[in-house]
Amino acid sequence: MVKKAALFILFCTLLNASEFDKYCLNCHGGDFKFHVIMKKYTLKYSSEQRIKKAIFEYLKEPLSTKSILPSEYIQRFGIKEKSSLDDETLKRMIDIYYERFSFQSKLY
Amino acid sequence: MYSGERKSIVYVLGLYLSSTLLLIVTLFTSYYFYEQDQLIHDEKEILKSYAAKVEEKLSLLHEENGEKLQYPRFEDFKSAIYDIDKNLIFSTLDEELKKLDNNFFTKNSKSYLISPLSPYYMGAAYIVVQKETKDINILSDLIYLAIIVMFITIITSFFLVNLVLRPIRENIKRLDNFIKDTTHELNTPITAILTNIETIDSSNCDEKTLRKLERIKIASLSISNLYEDLVYLLLNHKTSLQNVDLNLSQIVFQRVKYFANMANMKKIEFLLDIKNSVHFTADKQKMERLIDNILSNAIKYTNKATKIRITLDKRYLSIEDEGKGMSKEELEKIFTRYLRFDKTQGGFGLGYSIIKSITEEYDMKIDIDSKPNKGTKVTLTW
Repeated sequence: MVKKAALFILFCTLLNASEFDKYCLNCHGGDFKFHVIMKKYTLKYSSEQRIKKAIFEYLKEPLSTKSILPSEYIQRFGIKEKSSLDDETLKRMIDIYYERFSFQSKLY
Repeated sequence: MYSGERKSIVYVLGLYLSSTLLLIVTLFTSYYFYEQDQLIHDEKEILKSYAAKVEEKLSLLHEENGEKLQYPRFEDFKSAIYDIDKNLIFSTLDEELKKLDNNFFTKNSKSYLISPLSPYYMGAAYIVVQKETKDINILSDLIYLAIIVMFITIITSFFLVNLVLRPIRENIKRLDNFIKDTTHELNTPITAILTNIETIDSSNCDEKTLRKLERIKIASLSISNLYEDLVYLLLNHKTSLQNVDLNLSQIVFQRVKYFANMANMKKIEFLLDIKNSVHFTADKQKMERLIDNILSNAIKYTNKATKIRITLDKRYLSIEDEGKGMSKEELEKIFTRYLRFDKTQGGFGLGYSIIKSITEEYDMKIDIDSKPNKGTKVTLTW
């Protein structure tokens, strides 16, 4: 039974990871950009709850006023497209993103 | 030391010492709180500098890109960081803090400072720094200092009181010497007058002369009585002390007889209720002084043509007059030497002082029940 449960959790994790690769990393490329974005969000919003909320709100309705990136960057590359993911998937992806790249998980 | 001197010294010393103590306590308390404030201020400044160190390290750490990031640690202090919602991010503190309400506080001999941070390096909105509290040990020093100051104050105040009382003491001494000399000079003439009056053959005198002689005798007896009082006081109550078994009933009768002429002059009637053979062990002269003083006061202050009740029982003697009486305030001061409430009557205000001294010597209880314009009842109980 325990073995089955462990296998199930591993399966879910791999599934989520592959989903994250598919929905996020495909377009955003390497980890470096993700690190930079997380640093900026952390610097501005501090707590996990506020960071996740800010990312979600931006991805649902990308506006230059909501963007964490500098205005020069927005002017040059423009605003990204609105996410096509449903709310639940988007929230799950944000959770994985926070888990992988937040400072809290790195500190020792 | 005269009778009121000890009391004056106690009062002055008490007042001086209590005011000095109050001043010392106020000063030292203020100093103690000032030092405590200063200590808190210093602690805050140190903790602020620690918080700045943490901030600097966090800003550097924020720019690092490693998979694992080491939280800054310091030898002198410990720290923790909290996000904007006051959730703990990382801590090296000895214990977890449940509230982040106060900017500065001490707990379990440790000082804490909560310093807000912006921008939020590593997500930290609050830096908490903790150090060992520097103990404030001035309290015991202050107590020692207060004891020394109080000791010095007691010594100086003692000298001060002596300095203040010196002129009063000299005046009292001068007065005592004057009374002593006067008393000494009174003895011979009084004895001469009384002896000569007693030897006058009254059968050769007409009624008018007899009345005059009677008045002279009464006046001489009053002076003699006063003389006896003064001698008693001047010899510092140490007149030949011979405690013997006395028949008080006889003595009271004798003293009533002694004052009979004086009472007659004011048409005062003695109502005697004297139990036979009441005995008491004491010095005869002192007992006479005691009874004489109460009796002479009763005669002096009672109204004309009134009655004086004298009751002697096994355990008590009471003398009650129908005189002008005394107020409550007067009764409180009655035993003060040289104090006279009625200046129209003769005397030095020694009577009750002597009464008190003798009753104390023989463990007698004295009750004075007096009402203005009704009379005074003095009861001695033993």
